[in-house]
Amino acid sequence: MRDLHKAFGGVRAVDGCSFAVPRGRISGLIGPNGSGKTTTFNLLTGLAVPDAGQVLHRGENIAGRKPYEIFRRGITRTFQITRIFREMTVFENMLSATGLRVPDRVARERAEALIAFVNLGSLRGEYGGRLSYGQQKLLEFARALMTDPDLILLDEPAAGVNRTLLQQLLEHIHHLQERGKTILIVEHDMNVIMNHCERIFVLDHGVKIAEGPPAEIQRDERVIDAYFGRRRR
Amino acid sequence: MTRSEHLRNLLALGVLGLVLALLPPALNVYLRSFALFTMMYVVLALSWNIISGFTGYTSFGHVIFYGIGAYACAILVADHGWHWLPTLLVAAGVAAAVGVALGYPVLRLKGPYFAIAMLGAAEGVRVVATVWDGLTHGGLGISLPSVENSIATYYAMLGLMLITILVAYAVGHSRFGIRLNAIREDEVAAEALGINATAYKLAAFALSAVFPAVAGGIQAYKVLYIDPPSVFFVQITIAMALMSMLGGKGTVIGPIVGAVLLYTAQELTWVNFPTAHLIAYGLFIVIVARFMPRGLVGFAIDRGWARKGMVH
Repeated sequence: MRDLHKAFGGVRAVDGCSFAVPRGRISGLIGPNGSGKTTTFNLLTGLAVPDAGQVLHRGENIAGRKPYEIFRRGITRTFQITRIFREMTVFENMLSATGLRVPDRVARERAEALIAFVNLGSLRGEYGGRLSYGQQKLLEFARALMTDPDLILLDEPAAGVNRTLLQQLLEHIHHLQERGKTILIVEHDMNVIMNHCERIFVLDHGVKIAEGPPAEIQRDERVIDAYFGRRRR
Repeated sequence: MTRSEHLRNLLALGVLGLVLALLPPALNVYLRSFALFTMMYVVLALSWNIISGFTGYTSFGHVIFYGIGAYACAILVADHGWHWLPTLLVAAGVAAAVGVALGYPVLRLKGPYFAIAMLGAAEGVRVVATVWDGLTHGGLGISLPSVENSIATYYAMLGLMLITILVAYAVGHSRFGIRLNAIREDEVAAEALGINATAYKLAAFALSAVFPAVAGGIQAYKVLYIDPPSVFFVQITIAMALMSMLGGKGTVIGPIVGAVLLYTAQELTWVNFPTAHLIAYGLFIVIVARFMPRGLVGFAIDRGWARKGMVH
């Protein structure tokens, strides 16, 4: 993404941000609360229209496109607070995300396979709203994979998920990366970010203040300042 | 749902159609008329359910399409000498066009705002029908040439009901229907999953407009006289909504059961207690809303008598 801007009233949520997500890698997007991470995700997925700037995907500027158009170009996401369909079964949640051009049989097979992939098989016929929060996260994650996207944006996948489930989720994420997928994670859990991401982008006040591999980011003065305030010398 | 379950359901519908087709000679004029109006309310409730149950856009102006259909039939038959059957196609076409034209602006609204906009639109259409003398004969209404039609209209309504049930069934058990459900549950998430919500909503709205229009046309030819207050009657919309909710909106069987039960109850109470029937009706609604907020089908699902979801 190039020089992206988005303001809500007087608040410049994303203020001239540029970065390139490396293809086929797991990357992290971090920053203090209100630094513009979720807004960035919304700009990338069409839920918010940038005031200026470009989002380039496979050489095409997709900034300002409708969410469903962006989804059909192979970019998918999950939400910070899960947005599963509560009065639809797990299986129906899965099927909602496929293009109608995919034959019914193929869509069903894919849904079954992904439900098994995230271990929700026994809850296949249960309403989404009856699942525990962690299970909803898994469902949303699986649902995002229905169309075999090539860029997957995960907004706080670890929040509210117990350790066992989180380990599963991370295994799934690595598994996807091995299959050539590009993954970008917004996360507050630094263990997740530092141990699983190859490249990290740090936002503060809508501006990218650092970028690099985990070891570098951990030592970066500007990042430490942003999180903990300026140190007295 | 497995293939054998679909076959079983289709077979049940076929048997129902056959029984209803063989019934008229055994019925007197009153019962024939009662059966016709019951079938009409099945059509209305199922249609309302497509936009309001499956898609979650609660329409309080659906009588618009019913009235438009009634007028299309009456004008073409009375003023232009058409045979009544082809007017039903015109009714369907006009309703679909109005559905798209009206839906484009109002489907941008959500929840109560959409409901109120539709209520207002229905009143607006009623006023237009009243003042547009040249087309609708205004408040005088339209009288159709009198003929014996209780058999013909019965079969037309039966045919329409079977088609409506088939379409509602096909929509409800398809991925198209699942996507409408997704829009109902969370439109933002639906769009983020590749669903063009505007296009889907318009399609659902137009589809839900077509069948009431044909029903209105048949009804106009049946009663042989229409005027704006009788065919743009707000209580018809309320009946569609209540029947769906009683049976279980968002399902296929729910609106059918709701329409049959509520119309029968209405007819019985009306016959026996001419003034008290509205109280009984109201009480009934309160009880359902209090104890079965998701209708009879929802009640059955909660008790484990029926499976959750539409697609299995």
